[in-house]
Amino acid sequence: MTSNFITMNGYGLFVWLSFGITFVTCLAVYFKTKKTLKKYEREFLAELQTLTLEEKNKVLEDSKVAQQILATSFKAN
Amino acid sequence: MFKFFSFTNSYLLIQKLIKFINSIFFLILLIGLTFALVLSPPDYLQGDAVRIMYVHVPSAWIGLACFSVITILSILNFIFKIKNFYFVNKSIAPIGLLFTCLAIITGSLWGQPTWGTWWAWDARLTSMLALMLFYIFYILTFKLLRKEELIIKVSSIIAIIGSINLPIIKYSVEWWTTLHQPASIKITGSNRIHSEMMLPLMVMLLVFLLYAALIFLMKYKTEIIRIKKKNIKRD
Repeated sequence: MTSNFITMNGYGLFVWLSFGITFVTCLAVYFKTKKTLKKYEREFLAELQTLTLEEKNKVLEDSKVAQQILATSFKAN
Repeated sequence: MFKFFSFTNSYLLIQKLIKFINSIFFLILLIGLTFALVLSPPDYLQGDAVRIMYVHVPSAWIGLACFSVITILSILNFIFKIKNFYFVNKSIAPIGLLFTCLAIITGSLWGQPTWGTWWAWDARLTSMLALMLFYIFYILTFKLLRKEELIIKVSSIIAIIGSINLPIIKYSVEWWTTLHQPASIKITGSNRIHSEMMLPLMVMLLVFLLYAALIFLMKYKTEIIRIKKKNIKRD
């Protein structure tokens, strides 16, 4: 039964290649997307650090999203 | 109505959705793979090669669905000038390209044992290849052009022209004599697929949809952060 599962009655190469290519490609895209997201989060925080305290407060007061990015980035780290 | 699409409203929702999908994804993937590779029966004609259907068909459907969404949002953006739709489209396009490529590759791997060839210039395969090219041109506008207004115009034109290809893909197997089989699953009318194969197909479709949603949310979140970072620089 295990042998049949691997060989898929002669179609193993095609079946496993299809599933394998799909799995590996999706995994690569997932990690690439995650890496880019983390990079932008880091860059956003670094940009915020370059501001004076007054400027930083103004940005955070004006933008709810900026507050959320800051909060979620700290949680993730 | 369109206030819902504002970044402020969507950012927290995105966070919650990413967490939710991450928490259920592996369980559904495991169920899907068990059905597709173990529990589902082999086809009486194609044998175990039919299992390729469980990755090929959802990929093709999502590839088509993504381009349909891009076209609709491009038209809406033209009429209502909702800039967020542009960012949604920018986030969807790579997902559509990924699944269209996967549909072509897995289709080729399915074609070899069943038709005896990796590729044929028949209407369905060629129109899917055209869809892939439309995706590439669409994504290239974001990479090559600099002015946002020009990008919106050019990408919308590509999407609208590309949408002509969508009914061609759908009906190619009916309009022309093709190597590709006619549709086995129809929204209206009877399905020509056994329930023992239909269930794994639907579970695998759910897996692919969840994955597509996860990537979309991560890409859209990246876009929001990119814009907010730009705004800090401007201030």
